[in-house]
Amino acid sequence: MALSCLAFAALVVLAAGVGSVRIPPAEVLGAVGRGLWATAGAVVHRPPGGVEAVGVDPATRVFDTIVWHIRLPRVVLAALVGAALALAGAGFQGVFRNPLADPYLLGAASGAGFAASLAMVGGGAWAWLGGLGVPVAAFAGAAAAVAVVVALARRGWTLPIVPLVLAGVVVGSCLAAGTSFVLLAAREQAAGVLTWLLGSLAFASWGRVGTLLPPVLASAAVLIAAARSLDVLQLGERTAMQLGLPVEALKLTVVAAGTLATAAAVSVAGVIGFVGLVVPHAVRLALGPDHRRLVPMAAVWGAGFMVLADLVARTVIAPAELPVGVVTALVGAPFFLLLLRRKVAS
Amino acid sequence: MNRPHRSSPVRVAIAAIALALVSGTVSAAAPVVVVDDLGREVRLAAAPQRIVSLVPSHTETVCALGACDRLVGRDAWSDHPRSVLALPDVGSAFAPDLEAIVALRPDLVLVDEYSGAVEALAPLGLVVFAGTPQRLEEVFDMVDRLGRLLGAATEAALLQGRLRGELDGVAAVVAGRPRPTVFYEIDPSPYSVGPDGFIGTLIELAGGANVVPPELGDFPLVDPEFVVAADPQVIVLADAPYGIDLAALRARPGWSSIAAVREGRVFELTQAQSDVLSRPGPRVGEALMLLARLFHPGAF
Repeated sequence: MALSCLAFAALVVLAAGVGSVRIPPAEVLGAVGRGLWATAGAVVHRPPGGVEAVGVDPATRVFDTIVWHIRLPRVVLAALVGAALALAGAGFQGVFRNPLADPYLLGAASGAGFAASLAMVGGGAWAWLGGLGVPVAAFAGAAAAVAVVVALARRGWTLPIVPLVLAGVVVGSCLAAGTSFVLLAAREQAAGVLTWLLGSLAFASWGRVGTLLPPVLASAAVLIAAARSLDVLQLGERTAMQLGLPVEALKLTVVAAGTLATAAAVSVAGVIGFVGLVVPHAVRLALGPDHRRLVPMAAVWGAGFMVLADLVARTVIAPAELPVGVVTALVGAPFFLLLLRRKVAS
Repeated sequence: MNRPHRSSPVRVAIAAIALALVSGTVSAAAPVVVVDDLGREVRLAAAPQRIVSLVPSHTETVCALGACDRLVGRDAWSDHPRSVLALPDVGSAFAPDLEAIVALRPDLVLVDEYSGAVEALAPLGLVVFAGTPQRLEEVFDMVDRLGRLLGAATEAALLQGRLRGELDGVAAVVAGRPRPTVFYEIDPSPYSVGPDGFIGTLIELAGGANVVPPELGDFPLVDPEFVVAADPQVIVLADAPYGIDLAALRARPGWSSIAAVREGRVFELTQAQSDVLSRPGPRVGEALMLLARLFHPGAF
């Protein structure tokens, strides 16, 4: 555990130090220090052109802006998105007792994608939300899609797993078709919508970090608290019930917490695949299936993996950028296969 | 700014110098305020000297306004005039390299209004203008607004006049000639263009009759059967750079019966020609001329 956290910290430092603009390490540290100082002192930190720029000479000021206002929010946002998706994945895999479950299983991605594409195309109608139109729409779309799926699949107050997963897949396909139609109907905006759908952290800001932090912390707290119950649930629903576990309440809680994390992640970063599916498996293979360790470590590994994937996405073909979803799959798949192979061999 | 009038340049210059001496400052210009396509007020205290353009047509317009030397960065697709290829490439409009842009210390960044770049760049303290012309007429308004932003109002007026003259000139030549029916293919799906969009208007002005009806929108996906039934006399292949040619059209079921295919009036555009036709910038006259020559080979 301590090792994982150390590795994560090292990754964050590396990611903040590397980018398309070469900045000496001393300047990076200085920029971070000044940024922290300014924030701590509640001083409004204004970037270049502003009056209250922190750096003294122009070059330092540019470095400050790049490190404190572009790179760091992006790194922190990547970490939060990765943690949210891996948490949701671990929760869903545990509650559905299905190794193929991922955060998007219940239609969250398609719901978010459909709502976000409508918001981008219908731009003007969302203007009152300012720059928040797309994130708000995506969050609402994701939550609404999962709510519909749960409503369709519930039997009274119970939530049978097979109908739930089926409803999720069907509602997901339906909404994905809707998104395709929106894309065809509005070619002018298609490039913007597609970039969003593929997942991107390019426009990270401290503001987005601020909106993402509360829901991710909340769902992390709920899922970590539910870890012990998830362990019991692995014995089977019937056995768990006989042991006195409130199975239906647990299922609803985990679905709600996982959906909150997923919707929040999707709303700021688009649909980034693979992280939620593979990171929990990687943790399970490395550290064992105990949810009390699996859930928190999935968050740490997910965060680290996402920071690494985004670092690759924004540097390998700079100044162009790879869609981060492509990198998560390209980096993640071989790594996962390696782990799997070692496990099978031993 | 202190641009001399053509009538009495010397007197204006003297007056400007006197004014500068009196007020004790050389940059006498009032701040320029231009509203962009997102409805934002873009404010500049002085004419920008370090411009980053993330839109190819804006790159062309800035250069056509005589301010090419004030560009310090460009997006990956900006390639005209050739000299801009020497500028640093800061990525594509929809996924720009924010670090690289900030490092260039621009005093004006031109972006596409749908790219989301404005939300990322404006909070960094950069002055951002978001907008692109979607219609031919909007090119004139864009030239005007960019001209005011750049402190090049005279150049903008001259450019507008030149473009108006080019458009009117071509229209005069093709006036009264029989209009061939035209199908314009953007990609082999096939996507085409509606008559109200930028390219559609050019087709109309060049003396062609677009077979796509306006109710399908500016960039409709059309049924191949529809094209066969419409039987266009001319087909323009903007997707020729991606390998679509006359032979490919002949191989499509039923397409060999289309008049344009039978009579060999299928025109395969080069990438450069296709760029000219898809950029609502200072080369609209060139674009119109290109189409008019295809539609009316005897007229020029």
